[in-house]
Amino acid sequence: MKPLSRLSAASDLTLGLIGAILAVAAWEISARTGLVDPAIFPSPSLAIRAAAERLTAETVADNLFWSLLRVFSGFLLGALAGAAVGIAAGWYRGFGAIARPLIELLRPIPPLAWIPLAIIWFGLGEPSKFFIIFLGAFFPVVTAAYQGMRSIDPMLLKAAQTFGLSGVPLLLRVAVPAAAPDLATGVRIGWGLSFGVLVAAELIAADRGLGYMIINERNTGGSVGVIVVGILLIGALNLITDAAIGAAIKRWIGRWHGA
Amino acid sequence: MTRKLVQALPPLAAFTVLLLLWEAGVRYGFLKPYQFPPVSRIARGFVELSTTGFPTGVSIWSHALTTILRVLQGYGAALALAIPLGLVIGALPVVDKLTAPLIVFCRSVATLSLLPLVIVWFGAGELTKVFLIGYGCFWVMLSNVIAGVRYVDPTLVRAARTFGLKGLELYRSVVLPAALPRIFAGARMALGVGFMVIVGAEMIGTIEGLGALIMEARTFYRSEITIIGMLVIGLIGFTISAGLMALERAMLPWAGNLDRVRR
Repeated sequence: MKPLSRLSAASDLTLGLIGAILAVAAWEISARTGLVDPAIFPSPSLAIRAAAERLTAETVADNLFWSLLRVFSGFLLGALAGAAVGIAAGWYRGFGAIARPLIELLRPIPPLAWIPLAIIWFGLGEPSKFFIIFLGAFFPVVTAAYQGMRSIDPMLLKAAQTFGLSGVPLLLRVAVPAAAPDLATGVRIGWGLSFGVLVAAELIAADRGLGYMIINERNTGGSVGVIVVGILLIGALNLITDAAIGAAIKRWIGRWHGA
Repeated sequence: MTRKLVQALPPLAAFTVLLLLWEAGVRYGFLKPYQFPPVSRIARGFVELSTTGFPTGVSIWSHALTTILRVLQGYGAALALAIPLGLVIGALPVVDKLTAPLIVFCRSVATLSLLPLVIVWFGAGELTKVFLIGYGCFWVMLSNVIAGVRYVDPTLVRAARTFGLKGLELYRSVVLPAALPRIFAGARMALGVGFMVIVGAEMIGTIEGLGALIMEARTFYRSEITIIGMLVIGLIGFTISAGLMALERAMLPWAGNLDRVRR
């Protein structure tokens, strides 16, 4: 069974690769033949050439570094806070009764809508960006953590109690692992949101980062090629980090729930 | 009923205390009124917004209407394209495998990062915003429609085959109904994405719409208007997602267990 599934996975990959190559080729050809005006939508090769002319590797690396730093710090603290509040709200009934309505009240407000208020509170610097990326991770994680806690099989807790576990050890060693799959889903969603929010925040109010790099190129009347390369770079970054976080989560959860 | 009321009491009390502390904090100078506009000021701002409007002449309702119309145009276009396309791709495994990485990548492209490029294409007008909403909704919808069709329980399909169903008939009477819950879930997710995108898109280069309202209000030091705008955005988002969920329950009674299935 195993070699067969490996074989089909390999052929899936080949097909996917063929599809991607076809798409890039179609894009390149349509720009070369003038089907699409290269001045507004350059082909990949032209875009990369233009970007190489206008940007140094150092500029790109610097912007990349700032974007990653922002999104990781905001996401990490947002997800940790969300997990802590969600787990506590699910475990301690009194805390949940008060915290949950407040969270439910604020949750429908998309993180991007916090940008003006974040600027009012923290100014135009890094803290306001950190804050909205934090929110992007916080709300999905807090909701998922709470739901995970509420849908734990009560038999599991009763069984653990029979073995003498109670209080915080019961919470940390039985309840949290049982809620982990839900929590993980929330973390994945939170990462996606944090990343989207990061780009938006950098477009709207920033003086460095990949989002700033592309909007600045547009505002100074630079090259469309740089914008296209920037967009692809942001997309690739999102894809890679999401895959990495997905794999990390799988390993973490695999300890309790099988692979 | 009474139990529900009793349950609602502690959070309501906590909330009231919070608002009172906030109001008092501003009155006695612990909080800056610009950073934390007190409830009384928010209430006055709301009256102003719904009568004279901000900027003058544009009431909160017309801001909201503008935003909703933009979202619906982009969302409608995305659904109209993604559903038929997804149904076809999902039914043809080879096409699905060919397009899978492409779709994953396009979905990973942060929608708002397209903004500078789309401005080059269409200028800073309506079309740009509608396009961005459409882009964000389209890929979410497409991948959900494909997944809905692809991951129909094979037992169902085999059972239907045993009864002699095949081809288009099988697709229409078994695969499609089984895929609908997932398609509906995708439609709900896509609308969420649409609302997220529009708020960001309206913050750049426009003065109409809720996103523009909250950003403009900040520039004029009217933080209470920013907060009202945020609450209205949240209210619209909440109403729509609750409405779609009710619609889903009414239209797809067989989808009841989807929320308990791992996705």
